[in-house]
Amino acid sequence: MNSVWMVMIAVFAPVTLGLATLWLPRKAIELRTAVAVAGPLIAFVMLLMVTSGVKTGLATQHAYADHEHAHQIISEKVDLTTDTLDWMPSLNINFAFLTDGLGLFFGLLVSGIGIGIFLYARGYFGKAAPTSADDLYRFYPTIGLFTTAMLGLVLADYTILTLLFWEMTSISSFLLIGWDRYDKKAVKLAMQAFFTTGLGGMGLFGGILVFGNATGSVVEGGIWRWSQMLEHSEALQAMLLNVTSHPQLLWAFVLMFIGAGTKSAQFPFHYWLPGAMAAPTPVSAFLHSATMVKAGVFMVGRLFPVFAALPLFPQLIIPFGAATMLYGGVVALQQHDLKRIFAFTTVSQLGLLMCMYGLGAIDFTYKDHVFAAIDFDVTQIANHAFYKAPLFITAGAIGHFLSRDITQLNGAFYKHKAICGTMMLAALGLAAVPGTISFQAKELFLYGILHAADVYPVLWVVMVMTIITAVCNVAICVRVCTTLLGLPGGMTEADGEHHGDHHHDHPHEHGLLAHMIWLPGLVIVSFQFLGGIITPLWNMVFGIFEQPATAANYFQYKAEGVPSLLYVAKHLGSIPLWISMFCLVAGTMLGLSKFFRGSIKDFADKIYPAMYWLAVTGGGKCFRLVQTGNLKHYLIFVLGALLLGFGWTVAVDAEMWSTLTGDEAARVFEYWPGILIGLIACLTAVLIPMTDIRIVRIVFLGACGFAVVALYLVYQAPDLALTQLMFEIISVILFVIVLRLLPKEKKGADAGKAWRIPVAVCVGLVFGWMTLTAASHNRGETTNPDAQPLGHTLAQHSYGLKTDDDGNPKLDTAMSGDVGKRGGGGTNVVNVILVDFRGFDTLGEIAVLGLAAMGVWSMLPHRRRKGIKYRKVESDYPKEALDPLESEVTT
Amino acid sequence: MTMVLAICVAVTFAVSIYLMLGRELKGVAMGVFLLSHAANLSILAMSGSPMMTHAQQEAEVAAENGSHAHIVDSPLMKDPPILASQYANEQPLATMVDPLPQALILTAIVISFGVMAFLLTLLVVTNRKTQTIEVADLAEEARKA
Amino acid sequence: MSSSILRTANGIIFPLTLLFALYMALKGHNMPGGGFIGGLIAAVALVLYRMSHGPDAMMRLMPVHPRVIVAMGLGIAALTGVVPLVFGEPMLRSIAPYISLGVGDPVHLPSALFFDVGVLLVVVGVSVGMIVRLGEEVEDE
Repeated sequence: MNSVWMVMIAVFAPVTLGLATLWLPRKAIELRTAVAVAGPLIAFVMLLMVTSGVKTGLATQHAYADHEHAHQIISEKVDLTTDTLDWMPSLNINFAFLTDGLGLFFGLLVSGIGIGIFLYARGYFGKAAPTSADDLYRFYPTIGLFTTAMLGLVLADYTILTLLFWEMTSISSFLLIGWDRYDKKAVKLAMQAFFTTGLGGMGLFGGILVFGNATGSVVEGGIWRWSQMLEHSEALQAMLLNVTSHPQLLWAFVLMFIGAGTKSAQFPFHYWLPGAMAAPTPVSAFLHSATMVKAGVFMVGRLFPVFAALPLFPQLIIPFGAATMLYGGVVALQQHDLKRIFAFTTVSQLGLLMCMYGLGAIDFTYKDHVFAAIDFDVTQIANHAFYKAPLFITAGAIGHFLSRDITQLNGAFYKHKAICGTMMLAALGLAAVPGTISFQAKELFLYGILHAADVYPVLWVVMVMTIITAVCNVAICVRVCTTLLGLPGGMTEADGEHHGDHHHDHPHEHGLLAHMIWLPGLVIVSFQFLGGIITPLWNMVFGIFEQPATAANYFQYKAEGVPSLLYVAKHLGSIPLWISMFCLVAGTMLGLSKFFRGSIKDFADKIYPAMYWLAVTGGGKCFRLVQTGNLKHYLIFVLGALLLGFGWTVAVDAEMWSTLTGDEAARVFEYWPGILIGLIACLTAVLIPMTDIRIVRIVFLGACGFAVVALYLVYQAPDLALTQLMFEIISVILFVIVLRLLPKEKKGADAGKAWRIPVAVCVGLVFGWMTLTAASHNRGETTNPDAQPLGHTLAQHSYGLKTDDDGNPKLDTAMSGDVGKRGGGGTNVVNVILVDFRGFDTLGEIAVLGLAAMGVWSMLPHRRRKGIKYRKVESDYPKEALDPLESEVTT
Repeated sequence: MTMVLAICVAVTFAVSIYLMLGRELKGVAMGVFLLSHAANLSILAMSGSPMMTHAQQEAEVAAENGSHAHIVDSPLMKDPPILASQYANEQPLATMVDPLPQALILTAIVISFGVMAFLLTLLVVTNRKTQTIEVADLAEEARKA
Repeated sequence: MSSSILRTANGIIFPLTLLFALYMALKGHNMPGGGFIGGLIAAVALVLYRMSHGPDAMMRLMPVHPRVIVAMGLGIAALTGVVPLVFGEPMLRSIAPYISLGVGDPVHLPSALFFDVGVLLVVVGVSVGMIVRLGEEVEDE
């Protein structure tokens, strides 16, 4: 099978099967679960097949990955893009996928964790719970959509396609976070997440557009595919190193980083992530371990091979990443709700991942360095997913049965051994205890900082921040374990007041499916230990993806893969190992100590409400200044702007204006009937406001209209004159009718004369002059002798231009002639324009006319009156039966 | 002729603005009505003068009389945009007025009719709901709401 | 508004005006006229009839409610737009064949004529419908 179709199936399977569950019986929960789980399963299998297909390509790259030229060879030797399915080729939006290491790794991670989460949802929404059928009914389509969005996002090759999927994740995550539609707080938090990530999405959009426009010199038409970006990384890097002459690229990066940073919850935009905990736990576990929040990390990883050359790349990413890491870690320690604890550690870990890319960029510019944390970005990302998903899964499970408040869980292990056991195993991963892959990952990160700090000593600050964060993580692990086991030093109720119980009283279920509430967590966390203990196995699996994940894999150390525990043990004296040991000891002490046991609030929670207030309340106040609700004020604003604009144009070209006026004034007497008609028009118009009697006003209005009809005749426009004449008659009748429905005029209709007259005169003069210029300029001299008014071209095509063999024009009766010369077939040019050349416009116009009439009829609902019967309706049937619309309006 | 038209546009515009700035919505409706006339006329002005130029007149007269006879005192008007012959190639288009503005105005007239009727109905409904059509009173209502 | 002179005169004027409206609409492609003008003339004729014979008489004259006329007109106009699509031509593409009737000159029948008929119906329906509706309001008060 063609790989593009395989990826298409992989991407769209979750949403398709998720929607398919809607047609299955509502009560058949098992069946629906099975169908829905098939979605990510199919995606996983398909992506595995794609991986095995391109693996040879990856291996080739690996072989070429020698010290110096690897990043060129990668892009040149192996084509990792699939074929293209055209969608909107003219806009550079098509379906094509980039199946490189980074994309495939993320795809497999999303679909793999997805399988676990889909199963877990079955356990979480439990069969016995009253709303379970309803919840699952909604859940699978929604999360299927989200999975599809996520898969598309990481695999899409076209930049705009990535953006579309990116926005799709925002929308579907909004639906998932605001799952409890009746909980106003949840909906509010969902809005918060949506607005924040949506704002970032705009940034990404802008960045992609700017990037595409700025790279026209590299690729004809600009770069709109990620593969193109990687392909031309040399040229782009050259531009980026000299970014002062390509400022657009700088902006492109900053904008895209805004997108990545908000999505990946970078400080100070991290507030949406803990807020998103309002979602049901399956959603939290999915969104915050492997998917939504990793989208930003993915984006930075995508940009890294090229943009690492930008000096701003580390300068921007490291501070944000490090601050997020530290802040998340410290706040996580001081939370009581398990989900919030893990949410803040997620924030912290996201900061670490960002930081890692920043550090990698420093190594990138100093190629003599032989090691960088970036080499193992896939390991870092996978490691986080493999302990965070189980943590959330078990937190949700324990919340089901007991409580999510850690102070309430003292000794919970003895009641729910499987759940608490899984949670503790996962917590060991959080603490990066030797034996988990997390340990090696942290070691590698520390190595990365050490090497980068050689270049920039200021990065020792990051080292300190990392140590503090690690200590906090260990302390969290220690507290979770001691509490669950009921050991001394664990959290007790004394540590905090009990804020509302999260306990959902779900009856216990039995059977295999009931275990789905913790089993997926255990399976996922087992990868942590498999990788940590049998590291070569990890390298075998994830090494495939590491190689081409970035173009920066030219470091020798890389070939050896993630170091095993044995390797670490052999190098006992190395600094990172000492730091790790210190963290473990210090963290344990901190965890057992009495410090930082309270629960604190995240100050950033106020950012969004403040922004919201500013936008809605403050904006409303400003808005009121202009939107007074008084027609007079609106008119004054509009007319004032008009007068200012006109004054400016006149001031710019005063001479032209005076000449023009003089020229035209000299020709004013060329046609005396015209002057007469003009006089009548002006006189009747001026008389309208002179009187208070409304019927007289209407007479003058009508008279003015007839004068306009005469003007049309002078201008040789019979169609216009006829239409205007009829229109005038009907309008006057309308006016007379309506005026009878309105209250009588009060005295003093001409109040405010003193200021109305000057304003009116000014505006009148402006429009008069504008007419004069517009009319005089279109007959100006042009350099093109063939130039003629557009109307004359239309006139030539109005009938048809067919010529016979002798070259004489001939009737184009058969309409067989060549299409370009086919005309409208009429001699009344105006009518041909209306019904033929601009026929679509006319169609729209009559639709508007119909709408206006519908507006009139609906604003004045029909009151049934006796005596009116349409001829057709005179029958035995009741009228309602024949005219449903009529009866609907009345009743 | 353009000058005459420009003056008409100026006057109708001024009157319509004066009416729209008034106290009552009835006047505003009339102002809108008049405004559509003014706008149509200003579009019409863009089709240029309906008079033939001097050279065109001479050619026209010559074609009729077969020689360069006298030039008529009263100026000749251009032709309406109706093709005399079915073959536009044979027609001297320079002496025909520009049909495009006319087509645009025709559309505008009909649309403005729909808008007028809608506006007048709105007036009726407003009066029923609020018992007033005074601009200031309505602004007061809006502030309260 | 009931004057016997007007009523009597309108007995002759009304059918003539309607005929004139039809003429204007049909000749519109080659002479001054067209759907808009024809529609407005017909509407004026109907309104005049309403003045002379009263609103009920006019409504009895209408075969269907004005809004049905509007819908029909829009439908016809849209249909003439869509039909060319069936033949792979762009929307609203018109043809102007000469159809021979066997006697006399061939009749020039542009397909845009049907479009114009749609326009006519919409204009008639809208104008008459609005005036009728507002007129009823006046009578109710």
